[in-house]
Amino acid sequence: MVNVNISYADPVDGKVPDGPPSTAWARRRDQYKLVSPLNRRKFKVIVVGTGLAGAGCTAALGELGYQVSAYTIHDAARRAHSVAAQGGINAARARKVDNDSIHRFVKDTVKGGDFRGREADVFRLAEESVRVIDHMNAIGAPFAREYGGQLTTRSFGGVQVSRTYYTRGQTGQQLQVSASRSLQRQVAAGTVTLHTHEEMLDLIIKDGRARGIVTRNLKTGEVRAETAHAVVLATGGYGNVFHRSTLAKNSNVTAAWRAVRRGAYFASPSYIQFHPTALPISHKWQSKTTLMSESLRNDGRIWVPKLASDDRPANAIPEDERDYYLERKYPAFANLTPRDIASRAAREQIESGHGVGPLKNSVYLDFRDAKERLGVKVLDERYGNLFEMYRDATGEDPHEVPMRIAPGAHFAMGGLWTDYDQMSNIPGLFVGGEAGWGYHGANRLGANSLLSACVDGWFTLPYSVPNYLAQHLGETLLERTDPAVQGVLKDVSKRVNHLMKIGGKTPADRIHAELGEILYEGCGVSRSEAKLTAAIEKIRALREVFYTDLFIPGNPQSFNQELERAGRLEDYLQMAELMCIDALDRKESAGAHFREEYQTEEGEAARNDEDWCFVSIWEEGADGAHIRHAEPLDFKDITLETRNYK
Amino acid sequence: MTSRTPAAKPPLISNVLAKYIMAITGIVFALFVMVHMYGNLKVYKGPEAFNDYALFLRTLFEPLFPYEGFLWIFRVALLVCLIGHVGCAVLLSARAKKARGSHKRRGLKGFKSFTARTMPVTGVVLLLFIIFHILDLTAGVGVAPAEFQHGSQAGSFAYENLVASFQRPVVALIYLLAMVILFLHLAHGLWAAVYDFGVTVSEKARSWVILVAGVYALIIMLGNISIPLAVLFGLVK
Amino acid sequence: MKLTIEVWRQDNTATAGRFETYTVTGAYEEMSLLELIDYLNDQLVSEGREPIAYESDCREGICGTCGITVNDQPHGPVPNTPSCRQHLRSFKDGDNLRLEPFRSEAFPVVRDLVVDRTALDDVIRAGGFVSVDAGTAADADSMQIGHGRAEQALDFSACIGCGACIAACPNGSANLYAGSALQSLSLLPQGQAERSSRARNLLAEADTHFGPCSVYGECAVTCPAGIPLSAIAAVNRERARSAFRKGKDD
Repeated sequence: MVNVNISYADPVDGKVPDGPPSTAWARRRDQYKLVSPLNRRKFKVIVVGTGLAGAGCTAALGELGYQVSAYTIHDAARRAHSVAAQGGINAARARKVDNDSIHRFVKDTVKGGDFRGREADVFRLAEESVRVIDHMNAIGAPFAREYGGQLTTRSFGGVQVSRTYYTRGQTGQQLQVSASRSLQRQVAAGTVTLHTHEEMLDLIIKDGRARGIVTRNLKTGEVRAETAHAVVLATGGYGNVFHRSTLAKNSNVTAAWRAVRRGAYFASPSYIQFHPTALPISHKWQSKTTLMSESLRNDGRIWVPKLASDDRPANAIPEDERDYYLERKYPAFANLTPRDIASRAAREQIESGHGVGPLKNSVYLDFRDAKERLGVKVLDERYGNLFEMYRDATGEDPHEVPMRIAPGAHFAMGGLWTDYDQMSNIPGLFVGGEAGWGYHGANRLGANSLLSACVDGWFTLPYSVPNYLAQHLGETLLERTDPAVQGVLKDVSKRVNHLMKIGGKTPADRIHAELGEILYEGCGVSRSEAKLTAAIEKIRALREVFYTDLFIPGNPQSFNQELERAGRLEDYLQMAELMCIDALDRKESAGAHFREEYQTEEGEAARNDEDWCFVSIWEEGADGAHIRHAEPLDFKDITLETRNYK
Repeated sequence: MTSRTPAAKPPLISNVLAKYIMAITGIVFALFVMVHMYGNLKVYKGPEAFNDYALFLRTLFEPLFPYEGFLWIFRVALLVCLIGHVGCAVLLSARAKKARGSHKRRGLKGFKSFTARTMPVTGVVLLLFIIFHILDLTAGVGVAPAEFQHGSQAGSFAYENLVASFQRPVVALIYLLAMVILFLHLAHGLWAAVYDFGVTVSEKARSWVILVAGVYALIIMLGNISIPLAVLFGLVK
Repeated sequence: MKLTIEVWRQDNTATAGRFETYTVTGAYEEMSLLELIDYLNDQLVSEGREPIAYESDCREGICGTCGITVNDQPHGPVPNTPSCRQHLRSFKDGDNLRLEPFRSEAFPVVRDLVVDRTALDDVIRAGGFVSVDAGTAADADSMQIGHGRAEQALDFSACIGCGACIAACPNGSANLYAGSALQSLSLLPQGQAERSSRARNLLAEADTHFGPCSVYGECAVTCPAGIPLSAIAAVNRERARSAFRKGKDD
């Protein structure tokens, strides 16, 4: 038995306003302290990350008159991974007569998240969603329109109304481009300084408060400190800990994890969403599991051969030897069950030997019947670009043979813990977007991630950060010579040099690939005590390999991508263990976290509200100790109930 | 990389302005060569018609303008266009060269990029040809045929001069090649002018534009080439 | 597959570059161009050598980070496809691949295949935005935009900002890029208020970095976002329009 070293500490207060959650946001905003326009330019705020949350927060604070220093690891602000979101952005505008409302939005989101998110935060999400659409439209996002000129919407998984606004299959791109344009506007106006190709490697804390960051310039290797009155982390999710995921290759947990190493709390690290329609791994050097939009499940039918390890080509398998398992198990939602359920069902089929494809690691998504029913033309109108993308990647034509899909690590519901004001347990350290945790509980609904990033960036942090700043009027920035700054600078240089000096033989990516395999196996779609403890052991062994056998060529004073990868991997190797610890600790199944020991007789997730209706909040102690705090969850407007998609 | 503040001073003649100048002057030349070809084809109606046409051009708008008055205004206008066209071409080529830097674009294929790439070359050739042509059949010096006769208010010898010049096979060949070059220059120039004038047409409309530009250039080439060939083969004497 | 790969190696902006040749065996058709370089880099690093520096991120063709010139074609042999979606099935066993960075004077080489594309952002910063502050927007439904008009605007705003149009252009011109930035907003009511000043400022900035357009059309053939060639006409139209609207409302 491996030593997991968990200790339990006091509960944490989420500082949710008292009273009904539906009006909490208005009440809290009225309580917030203000900074007068003349004083705003005396404050400096650092925003790390330029995705939808980061760019929004940067632009909005700049527009208000604060000095903002924005950081991105990319060569341009626009490249942040928000750009890759396809489907759309939800909003509870409720313009149609399909009986949508703020309340329904909250219910769908809270229920979709299996009651492991914070209800009051979701009300804020719903309320501000209206303004998000107005604002993104106003700054130039060309949302799809009806023939009459009004905004159009579509439906998404887990929802019975139509509230998803979109721009073809590239909603994220259009929002991201618009937001980064607004950021550039503030750079031109002189309120924002943008630092591209700079990676945050540490957080500067003095007297318990966040006072700045240390970064490494990826082009020159220069390690530099910048101090500020507050720091916002909008650095995205950590799905890449799985090595192959639907995420962009540079998405990483480093900024967030460095904050954890300085004492920030991490909420629900094990809540990772596996997207059911990702491309399967077809060869060793495949670098990611490319995402195919969920919309394909509207017309494609998912099946596997009834016979285990059936080697016949798909089209040679007769109808009565095919198992349309989602239609069989969930007749009401069928192929459109929520992501966690669809992913788990696919994993079950693959593990029981019914997987298809050369590596037996995928299931079929078949358009044969849709082609007969709709014709090739309609099919191409709906999915043409996705079919083309699939053909690009696999060389197979989905018109002729079924697509092969498999669950791929996708979205991190967990993240840095924050209170209702989006501030972490370290005063002055704020978090936005996927780097945080609040809204999505244990499973995120489609089209809610763009929304949460936008709401955080444009309509939450610009209220809550000034509230914090107002309490520090007249405070000067930390000097570079301050021991707190110098200490962190030294730590960063020491760490970089240490990595360079390991002097082994193995490239970082190989170790990362192994970590990914361990996690898919041990902390993937379905988890168990045995799998998790084995994974923890393997992760620790792999960490040993990392510290003895890593090799980074070149020097740290130059553009050195191997060094970047190694630094990020070191953090993944630590946070991967915490993921497993959290999954091991949570003795229930909820949303994307499925523990084999805790399932109903029909094999569905068995949530345990009696003992586990709280958020696990982790503090990393010295010497590998994991300290768990808890924030109890209280559902006032939305009644706790068991999810049922049958 | 820390963000930079908005840039250096823009140049006096912007790229867009230079392109408009090239497009407008280019269109003037395109119309001119069409009218010029129309006049040239009168050669098939015999010496009298051709020479009368030449005289007509010299006496156009008399007595409002003196003899050759309009012609000179026209020539000056063309010269101004030429200076504008060539000047902007030189300016833009230099800027293009600088912007591209030391690694030239390679691997270009197809007729369209061939004509685009060769615009400066075809342009220079056409400039030399214009000089040659003026010496040959207008000024009647240097490369002009020995038999060249100057016209006057009494009459023109344009037909005789033309035949004399084209009866020299080398000269006929020069004219012929020049017209091929003109075709290449015109085909791309007209197509480009559509863009320079800011016509944001659809994909489909664009293929029509290419076709119209090509046909226009082709008509001019074929019409003009027929004349030296006709002289060489003795159809026009 | 066995492939011979000639790669541009350059330590930094200040030093001169050169081609180095590598032979890769055991590559396969399913690999993307970037995965081929990953594969080669894995070998190089295990041999203690420095890997080929190149940038990529989403590997789905939307972020615009990747950009490698393959045998003189920016992004690679398949038209309108970014480097990350180019696959080895476009090549034959035994083929030669010459990999270079995106070439343009405006894109100095950072290292190997990585270039600095800051100039692209400078152009946007000069005016490629809509000046509306957070929270001040009117109801998006009160602004009526026809279905076709919105789709057309999206055709132009689909630009992924990779810079391939500039690398494809023998003139180093950014007209496709600048035109898409202008046209995507000039087609929408949101873009009207600043339409003229945007054209003036954005294009003045573009002129300081990039060359003039000669309508080669290479940009549109290369563009992974399929931006229509009419974007380059939009540059001239918007600039000319702005000349007639000096001192007017926009």
